Amino acid sequence: MAEALILDAEALNALARARERSVLAERARAILHVAHEERALVRVPAPVLAEVYRGGAIDAPLDHVLNGRGIVVFELTANVARRAGALLARAKLGSAHAVDAFVVATALEFSSAVIATGDPKDLRRLAAGFGQVRIFAV
Amino acid sequence: MSKAAAKLSISVPLELAESVRRRVGERGLSGFVARAMLHELEREQLGGFLAELDEALGVVPKKTLVQARTTWRKR
Repeated sequence: MAEALILDAEALNALARARERSVLAERARAILHVAHEERALVRVPAPVLAEVYRGGAIDAPLDHVLNGRGIVVFELTANVARRAGALLARAKLGSAHAVDAFVVATALEFSSAVIATGDPKDLRRLAAGFGQVRIFAV
Repeated sequence: MSKAAAKLSISVPLELAESVRRRVGERGLSGFVARAMLHELEREQLGGFLAELDEALGVVPKKTLVQARTTWRKR
C-alpha cells in the first residue's frame, strides 16, 4: 500500500487543539504539509482514539479534525494486532505500550510511512530495524 | 457486501484509459477509479484543512518545514 503519515495521540491532539498547543501544533502542521506535498495518505490508528477521546463536548475538536479533512481512522484488524504483539515482545515492552505498538504495526501496513509522535523514544524502539518507517517528534 | 453505487460518465485521455485497462482489466476499472477518486478527495480535504490552520495561526516557520521534509526523505 501507498505511503502514509501516521498520527499518534499527541500529534492528533496537537492538530485538534492547535490554538492551545501552538508549538506542538507547528511541528504537527509541518509534517502534515509535507504529507500533502508528497501525496501521502494520513491515518490515525483506531486504538489511538482511546487515548484522546474522553466523552462529551471536550471531544468536539477531535470530531472536527476527523471529519472530511483528509485525516482518516485506520481500523484495527486482527493481523495488525498480532503484529503489534510481536513488536512488543521483540522490543521487550509490556502491554502498557500496546497503543504505541498498534501505531508502529499500522505504519508497517504501508510501503513506507512517517509516524508523527510525542513519544519518539518508545516508537523508535518498536520500529527499530524497519527502514521504511521514520519517526518525527512533534 | 456492496455499497450503493453511482454510475458516472467521465472523459479521460484515451492513452490513460488504455494504460489503466491494461493494468487492471475491464472489471477492475471501477475499483481503480474509486480508489483514485478517494485519494484525490482526501488530498483536497487535507489541503483545505492546512489552509484553514495557516489562516488561523499563521504559516508554519520555514525551519520547521525543512526539518519535517528532512525526516520524510530519510530512508
